[in-house]
Amino acid sequence: MTEGPLSRVTILDLTDERGIYGAKLLADLGANVIRPEPLTGDPLRMRGPFIQSADQGKESIWHAYFCSSRRSIALDLDDAEGLEQFDLLLTNADIVLTCPGAFGVEESKEIVRDKNQEELVFIDTCSFRPGCEWADYQAPDIVAGALAGQIATTGDADTAPLKNFGELNFMVSGAYTAISALSALYNRRATGSGQRVEVSVHECIASCLEHVFMFYWYGEAMEHPDGRVLPRRGSLHWSNAYDVMNAETGSIMVTPTPDFDKQLTWMIEEDIHDDLIDPQYLEPENLRLRVEKTMNQLRDWVATKNAEDLFFEAQERHMPYGLVLPIEQVAENPQLIARDWFVPYQIGEHKTLSTGAPYHFSDTPWQLGEYKSINEDQVDILNEIGWNS
Amino acid sequence: MARPLEGLKILDFTHVLAGPFATRILGDMGADVVKINSLDRAIGANDPIHPYYIMWNRNKRALALDMSNESARKTCKELCEKADIVIDNFSVGVLDRWGVGYDTISQVNSKVIYVQMSGMGDGGPWSKFVTYAPTIHALCGLTHTTSVKNRQDIGIGFSYNDHQAGLHGAVAILAGLESLQHSGKGQRIDISQFEVGVNFVAPSLVDHFSNNTITEPVANDLPYDEVAPHGVYPCSSDGEGIKGENWIAIACMTEDQWRSLKNLLGSPEWAEQDSFSTLSLRYKNRRELDSHIQNWTKAQEAYPLMDTCQNAGVPAGVVQSGADLANKDPQLRSREFLFAFDELHGEVGQTFGDKLPIKFEKTPCESYIRSRSLGEDNESVLKDWLNLSPKEIDENKSEGWLN
Repeated sequence: MTEGPLSRVTILDLTDERGIYGAKLLADLGANVIRPEPLTGDPLRMRGPFIQSADQGKESIWHAYFCSSRRSIALDLDDAEGLEQFDLLLTNADIVLTCPGAFGVEESKEIVRDKNQEELVFIDTCSFRPGCEWADYQAPDIVAGALAGQIATTGDADTAPLKNFGELNFMVSGAYTAISALSALYNRRATGSGQRVEVSVHECIASCLEHVFMFYWYGEAMEHPDGRVLPRRGSLHWSNAYDVMNAETGSIMVTPTPDFDKQLTWMIEEDIHDDLIDPQYLEPENLRLRVEKTMNQLRDWVATKNAEDLFFEAQERHMPYGLVLPIEQVAENPQLIARDWFVPYQIGEHKTLSTGAPYHFSDTPWQLGEYKSINEDQVDILNEIGWNS
Repeated sequence: MARPLEGLKILDFTHVLAGPFATRILGDMGADVVKINSLDRAIGANDPIHPYYIMWNRNKRALALDMSNESARKTCKELCEKADIVIDNFSVGVLDRWGVGYDTISQVNSKVIYVQMSGMGDGGPWSKFVTYAPTIHALCGLTHTTSVKNRQDIGIGFSYNDHQAGLHGAVAILAGLESLQHSGKGQRIDISQFEVGVNFVAPSLVDHFSNNTITEPVANDLPYDEVAPHGVYPCSSDGEGIKGENWIAIACMTEDQWRSLKNLLGSPEWAEQDSFSTLSLRYKNRRELDSHIQNWTKAQEAYPLMDTCQNAGVPAGVVQSGADLANKDPQLRSREFLFAFDELHGEVGQTFGDKLPIKFEKTPCESYIRSRSLGEDNESVLKDWLNLSPKEIDENKSEGWLN
């Protein structure tokens, strides 16, 4: 079998929700990623959803997804033997991924401090940068999203500000965790020197807010009636040119961008253009007016349409409309099925499907590795690190 | 001190957000990113003086070529021969038409890592579909699920998937470089921004495949775990905030945190009722619980309330706007996370940036060069990458294809 691009890298995964997606990205790219667990099991094995089965234990789908391609070893870090084994794991690692408070992290910091492993890459994904006012604040995803600006952007005037579905803020910090590990590894390959790296979840989220800082810094140039901070505005994009509209059946994201003339041609065919052919709308100072008028005309028109038909007709015209799909329809998406994208996956005794490759390498393909039960790789790992019991 | 990716050459054909964000991160870490622009494509968000372009294209050099000209395409191919990375997020096939597709370039540069970030990936019945982040959010289930049940779909209030596609692009490139270290061979990487997006609803999809579960919008609840309180609550309106509103997120993930919150609430009678005695019961009765908490938060100022909660061990965070992040956030201020570029932009004047959220101990990434005007670095790029003399560059300019 062809190896993944990271097949020569050994990683110790001591992350929690803040960095675990990064460990998954690296593991699915072929790295040898070992995730030590306490003897009672990784607490994240208790995250829902679970496989529903009368005759099985509680198998966590959440854990199975985020801990794909890992190898499991259970350690008692209160015991001298367990600590020695942990020490050997650290000695054998190229990269250690940590989140403060997760299993083994404090111990790993002490051991690494004493060992002075020049080549080790040590990544610390923390909620807030240490040494600052909020360094010790606790921030689950919803709190992290609130403080870093994500939640203020989402929701509508008649709803509370909303977090993203699931824990998407931590998937941002997870992706940055993977980037920091691979960048430090690249530098180590060039210089022979590893290093410590800090990744701040707070800063990660704040760096991925699209228009938020743009409006704050360039508010005058943006000429928006709401000024430098946009209020929650439902599905209406900051540009006013993308919005989710209710069709007669279903719901669809509609936009006249990037080619307003193409949209106008379609509107003329449908006789919904009203006065939009008036040359006044071509004047740069009337662009906002043109967008608003176009979107209002489209809203009335979309309400008479079947959303799915409209989506395919728009895409036929190379217009980036998007059909709003519930999860169960994503599961049947013809593009994903044609690309053979969902992959077989086994969680305990249960055979299911999981999501596929976020990137396709021509020579060293991504591969979803097995999901392991607690200490499943204990013997193999101990042999590999030279532990003699 | 050198940054971690110094010496890496990236030829960047990307536009809008997803691709430019990938190369911005690599540029922040020291890669020499050369952004290819042209006069005819410098419109809207791709205009180098548009704030959107300025946001995503710092730490890159700008080379402007008229790709309709054969000499420009020849130069472009020569640049591809020198590049470690070639990246684009055009629809599939555009670079092939310019004569710099993977099949051509890999023949003359076997070590190249060639990344194509299209909306739907190369292949499949939707491969020619046109997408932006709101399109992807709709199609991958994020618009439907990031919402409130029995209400019109809302979705994420910004282009989350564009950022994530950029981050995944950077991961893929760095993984490709690690592979190259050992194989000595480059490769092609096909990224479907749609597939990146579908990953973010993976637990729900596996839940559906395994249990036939129908995932519904959950607003501020966690979708899979019984946790309450877990919400965003109004605070006192003091005239500041967005439209005068101030909000705070509070989440009690553990029994200890709930006990601490109860103490802060003054252990009111309602909190001692059986209906809130266990996590499961609190979750079952969470709307009533939210109503009690809201009655407590709405008379209080958000920042002091957050401090009180956090000091008592209750996770809480003010819902901060962009202005709050810039003016009130002590974490970002301490790190000088938001900054003004030292050098003024020739056409725009003062421009601003936010730092890379990664802090390397030995290879710090604290060098930030403002985004460039169209063709601002033509001379330096052609000299550094192709070793052209000033005379040769002048000749190219006079031919008119070097914008």
